[in-house]
Amino acid sequence: MNRCMESMKDHGLSNQYNPVIGLEIHAELSTRSKMFCQCLADYFGQPPNTHVCPVCLGLPGALPVPNRKAVEWTILLGKALNCKINKITKFDRKHYFYPDLPKGYQISQYDEPIATGGIFQLGKKTFRIRRVHLEEDTGKLIHKGDETLVDFNRSGVPLVEIVTEPDFTNSTDVKAFLEELQTLIRYLEVSDCDMEKGSMRLEPNVSLRKLKSTKMPAYKVEVKNINSFRFAQKAVEYEIKRQTALLQKGETPTQETRGFNETKGITFSQRSKEEEQDYRYFPEPDIPPFVFETKFLEKVEVPELPHEKVERYVSTWKLRREEALLLTRDKKVAQYFERVISKLNQKKPDMVKPVEQTIAKLIVNKKIPIDIAESEFIERALEKRKKHEVDEKILAGVLGKIVEENKKAVEDYRGGKEGAVMFLVGQAMRELKGKADAVVIREKLMKLVRRDQ
Amino acid sequence: MNLHELSIAQLTRLLEGKKTSPEEIYTSFLTRIKEINPKINAYLTVINKPELDYSMRDKPLFGIPYSMKDTYNTKGIRTTAAAKVLDNYISPYDATAYTKLKKAGAVLIGKTNCDAWGHGSSTENSDFGPTKNPWNRDYVPGGSSGGSAASLAADLCSFSIGEDTGGSIRLPASFCSVVGLKPTYGLVSRYGCIAYASSLDTVGPMARSVEDTALVLEVLAGADSCDATTSQSKPPRYSQFLGRKIAGLKMGIPKEYFMKGMDDTVASTIAKAMKDLQKLGVEPVEISLPMTEYAISTYYLIAPSETSSNLARYDGIRFGTTRRSFGAEAKRRIMLGTFTLSHGYYDAYYKKATKVRTLIKNDFENAFKAVDFIIAPASPTPPFKLGEKVDDPLKMYLSDIYLVSVNLAGVPALSVPCGFTGNKLPISFQLIGRHFDETTLLNIGYQYEQVHGIYERPRIK
Amino acid sequence: MKKGSLSKKDVAHLAKLADLKLTDSEIEEYSGQLSSILDYINQLQEVDTSKVESTHSTIGLTNVYSEDKISDVQKLKSLKHLSVAKRNGKKYFAVKRII
Repeated sequence: MNRCMESMKDHGLSNQYNPVIGLEIHAELSTRSKMFCQCLADYFGQPPNTHVCPVCLGLPGALPVPNRKAVEWTILLGKALNCKINKITKFDRKHYFYPDLPKGYQISQYDEPIATGGIFQLGKKTFRIRRVHLEEDTGKLIHKGDETLVDFNRSGVPLVEIVTEPDFTNSTDVKAFLEELQTLIRYLEVSDCDMEKGSMRLEPNVSLRKLKSTKMPAYKVEVKNINSFRFAQKAVEYEIKRQTALLQKGETPTQETRGFNETKGITFSQRSKEEEQDYRYFPEPDIPPFVFETKFLEKVEVPELPHEKVERYVSTWKLRREEALLLTRDKKVAQYFERVISKLNQKKPDMVKPVEQTIAKLIVNKKIPIDIAESEFIERALEKRKKHEVDEKILAGVLGKIVEENKKAVEDYRGGKEGAVMFLVGQAMRELKGKADAVVIREKLMKLVRRDQ
Repeated sequence: MNLHELSIAQLTRLLEGKKTSPEEIYTSFLTRIKEINPKINAYLTVINKPELDYSMRDKPLFGIPYSMKDTYNTKGIRTTAAAKVLDNYISPYDATAYTKLKKAGAVLIGKTNCDAWGHGSSTENSDFGPTKNPWNRDYVPGGSSGGSAASLAADLCSFSIGEDTGGSIRLPASFCSVVGLKPTYGLVSRYGCIAYASSLDTVGPMARSVEDTALVLEVLAGADSCDATTSQSKPPRYSQFLGRKIAGLKMGIPKEYFMKGMDDTVASTIAKAMKDLQKLGVEPVEISLPMTEYAISTYYLIAPSETSSNLARYDGIRFGTTRRSFGAEAKRRIMLGTFTLSHGYYDAYYKKATKVRTLIKNDFENAFKAVDFIIAPASPTPPFKLGEKVDDPLKMYLSDIYLVSVNLAGVPALSVPCGFTGNKLPISFQLIGRHFDETTLLNIGYQYEQVHGIYERPRIK
Repeated sequence: MKKGSLSKKDVAHLAKLADLKLTDSEIEEYSGQLSSILDYINQLQEVDTSKVESTHSTIGLTNVYSEDKISDVQKLKSLKHLSVAKRNGKKYFAVKRII
């Protein structure tokens, strides 16, 4: 019910329809070699058709042999999304004709994918993952003049496909989900997951159903050619509006695939899904099936994920959630932060606490760069501290004075208004003419105020 | 005797004794090809300037000229699958079988004709004209590896590499009176072999004798990291076991195979072969392969399905010509396969056939609990005339009755010449064995040859 | 499509799915031939397969992989003999414009 309320709030809809939105995301795995051959997989920027072989060119007689790392990384991703990893899995052939598909079929997974039934937590909301499977990428097309040119460097690159259940009801959640998913995938270090480089692609599908209805809508609209999360949000919003208008007229939107026009911010009809493609799936006879042993699956370890790090920073080190979020968007930054903390705790255990909050602020506010050695960072941090060291007696005096003079703020804080302490910190910093560490001030003020209760 | 009439073992002995040279051997075959090939159309491409590598002198097949069905990719050499779609296709890479033979010192002398894409039992479906049976040029050489068998039978090469999906090595070997082996699926790498039906295709040798066949198999067999369907087990040295005594081995005689539909001469010739084997101590045991009557349907459902998929890559964009160049049989099989895989029909057709396939495979597994090998004819009839079955595809399919079960089960089978009809048309029997038991089949075939003699040659004028 | 028979319309649809261009006489001829083949193949329906699994591979292989490393062994160093189109000094494959 919460979601319904939210979506109505978000869109000020005429309270008739609920959006039913699902997402299909593709991520190119950053393996060294391609999915079914040992050609270079990192095709970005390479001259066309310079990393091809009989297998990825679909020449007569060529055979595919699956890349072990790609399979392991798909299992890892499935686990990170809390999926069930299927012990028996296989590849299937998906047939259609297109110039960028050299064999006339794509080796993909149909009815026995590697992972199914996962959950993605986004704040207090959960979104279900229907499946995660592995397939190969197609070549790249360039449309020029009266020709279409094909570059097969990208043909055969491993592609992981993530399909969610249609659990989304608004465009804000869609954008937030995509951002968090991208961060998670980057944490696993299995893909660059970069929309601009094409190593992450997405297709939302949007339909609407009557408020209070639990039946799936009779149609589904897929939107293609979306090149950023922001555009994904815009495209979803546009579709909701467009479909609402049609439904209000008594028309059912056509089941189809639509493209997104960035400049105009609209979707347009591309291919009618009415004549649904008959992919004629059948099990890939050139690749034996996989039977995963429990021991093998257990060895695939999911590292600490971004949302887990955030929780840990907040609960263990008492960082503010916003700071924790900023620190954890890039795993390298988070790891650097953790290494600095670890080194600091080893070196100077008698340093004034709270160490973690101070370092966090220094990094988040970019006061000290993080492309330097951890030991150098620590030195610079300590120097900053020294500059801010005030005589303990003077400090105690000033703080006492601040508490005396700002009884209302103190009352507010004692009454539960956490933010009131920041006002007091500001006052103290002014008194001390900035010559103090705000974090230390805050800690001392909080102790002072509580003690006097 | 002429050089082109000798076995691999005989040629190797002459080379080792410096009684001849690779050039001399090659020239002997090449001269004969120029004279005879126009009469039988066995070769599509002939290599006039061979690559003779003397550093290979101590390799097992050094200096031995051979032909390959034109479905094998050979770098820099025209490779057509006997199809117009690939008429001018020069392959940019080597099939693993070709690489292995090169490393063994063998010399490719030409690419042979076949039914286009392997679709056929007579080589009449070639886009470049049929091959004629060297024994009688009014008759078919069998298919689909008809050019391979004919090139060997006419002494235009020392051995040949064919490919067997539903009998395509065994049938032409039988029709041309040469030895042909369909190995166990997965024994020999398919990398570089133009695919017909991926779960059925098998790479295999044809040669003048069982010993020669074993020598070639030793080179071909073994795992390949480029083919995920090859077995990892290390294959034995097949030629080492030919001399074993076969007394006590149990010979399965499938009652379904000898019920009806077999030509009288074929029946009596096979019966004599069975008696000859019994004289060597083999024990006949009647067995049943109850799913036999469903074998053709199962095959002609699975194979076209897989071929419709394997032929999807021929779009004329990266190589070859457009799909308009496909011949009639190719188009028929593509459409049949497209139908059986299509939405709404998949379960009733393709999936059903893969289940019946299990039952056919089980038939063999059960049989091999009681016997060590199975004997059967390769064909219910002797070679038929050119044009006789061409207008009726179904009639052509039905002649594969003793062949397709073997591919469906993935077991090995050896075709050995055992006689002729009254008008000198060849007849062979088939020995079918357990998975990866080529050793037993070659052993039995060799012992039979010792008694019966190796086949005689046609006298081509 | 009725079981065991393919009409001309069916054949035309299959030809489209398989990207084959057929003449009217071919459609006519194939529809007859394919129908009789299908008619024969339909005998499989009488087999009881309720307790049987499919066979897709006859030698029971599983878990076959290749290692994640770049190798030149199969790489095509030259595209000669393929239908390459040189545009601005770069090598592409070309078709008539599709979008």
